[in-house]
Amino acid sequence: MPAIETIGKDLLKELDPDGRLNLTWCLQCGRCSAGCTMRQETDILPHQINRMILLGMKDELLKSKALWMCISCQTCLSRCPMKVDTPALIDKLHTMAESAPDDLRKVRVFNSVMLASMKRFGRVWELGMMGIYKLRALDLFSDLAKLPTMLKKGKFKLTPPSTKGKSAVADIFRRRAHR
Amino acid sequence: MKYSFFPGCSLESTANDYKMSTQAVAKALGIHLEELPDWTCCGSTPAHATDAVLAAALPARNLLIAKDLGQDMIVCCASCYGRLAGANLAIVEDPQLRAQVAESIGREYSGGVKVRHFLQVLKEDFGLAEIRDMIVKPLGGLKVAAYYGCLLTRPKELCIVDDPEDPQLMEELLSAIGAEPVEWPFKTECCGASFSITRTDTVKRLCGEILRMAKDSGAEAIAVACPLCQTNLDLRQADIEKSTGEQFGLPVFYFTQLLGRALGLSDQELGIGKLITEPRVKV
Repeated sequence: MPAIETIGKDLLKELDPDGRLNLTWCLQCGRCSAGCTMRQETDILPHQINRMILLGMKDELLKSKALWMCISCQTCLSRCPMKVDTPALIDKLHTMAESAPDDLRKVRVFNSVMLASMKRFGRVWELGMMGIYKLRALDLFSDLAKLPTMLKKGKFKLTPPSTKGKSAVADIFRRRAHR
Repeated sequence: MKYSFFPGCSLESTANDYKMSTQAVAKALGIHLEELPDWTCCGSTPAHATDAVLAAALPARNLLIAKDLGQDMIVCCASCYGRLAGANLAIVEDPQLRAQVAESIGREYSGGVKVRHFLQVLKEDFGLAEIRDMIVKPLGGLKVAAYYGCLLTRPKELCIVDDPEDPQLMEELLSAIGAEPVEWPFKTECCGASFSITRTDTVKRLCGEILRMAKDSGAEAIAVACPLCQTNLDLRQADIEKSTGEQFGLPVFYFTQLLGRALGLSDQELGIGKLITEPRVKV
């Protein structure tokens, strides 16, 4: 049986190779989890995520709701006495996860639709993004009743944004995709 | 006083009243905000949830433009502020990230721009006493809950105030313009941000808690500094009232709208008509 500190070496190396995110400093004090915005709805709490990474529980983490439930409020990091950057660790796990649990699929769809809007226009076109999101998430009717008010109040731009910076942004996306 | 102003995508649409009121207030105070030419999206949450380098490169492209102009960058959206100020710091601290970002943009950014929130500029550069001297329509003791949300106070390195758990910056401004800030414990809770679209019930629960606490603390209105906080607390308020049977009736103003009123600017200039929850209180 391996010594406990060697169990999760590979995952630790993958997520925090140079120790910048301070994961090995985690004291398991639970301050992060006490303040977590999503503590009532998530399946794995921040201090548990920290420990599960050290234990190398990659499959369990990648299947968890917690990765998609995190709203990046930064409360866990901000209150951590050891400055463990759990939000950055969750971001990295996100990148490794190939799918989201069914009830959180919409979060993944939203992220990808918003990125596509940035990539295409250089800026996010909120109205266009919402339309595509609703189609892709099969969520056509929620909030439909709010649309007239939003339009009347001029809170949606009907035409996509236009900026000369558009091609520079597309180049950044292209270089990241081809890395 | 001259700055590069980064509005961000929300201020072009759902939060265009934040942009209007910021520009109107700046003009009235003689603060010159020059919109950053050809600015592009900061990347927001989807970028950092997908690719750490992309999440730094998208802000860095904008930081490079500001650097060429040699001006501090002023941001109003809390999310844009977090991404721009965060990338600004990370790129300086992490040489590997800096190199990867340079590779993605085709040019190196090595730091040197100050990224600041408009609230900071009002206090640190203009001065609250100077603002007080320019007030023509003080807010008559309107009881306001200052709500900061997440990204103006967290993480600590990016916090725009002294105490991330009990910020007072917006309260100081509100006092200076004749409002009466209420003491309340939920000023840095999270509203649920973009879950408004993907997990609406979560946001209704979180915003319900915030609105309830503001009301119980005696607030007649809420002041915010973030487009997502404003939209969630305002647009979802009637739905929350309907599902819980409570009556909040709390208008949710951008701090710039309240400041603008006190400076004597018109509702039209400040986009007050764009608020969803009608301001029943006389502001």
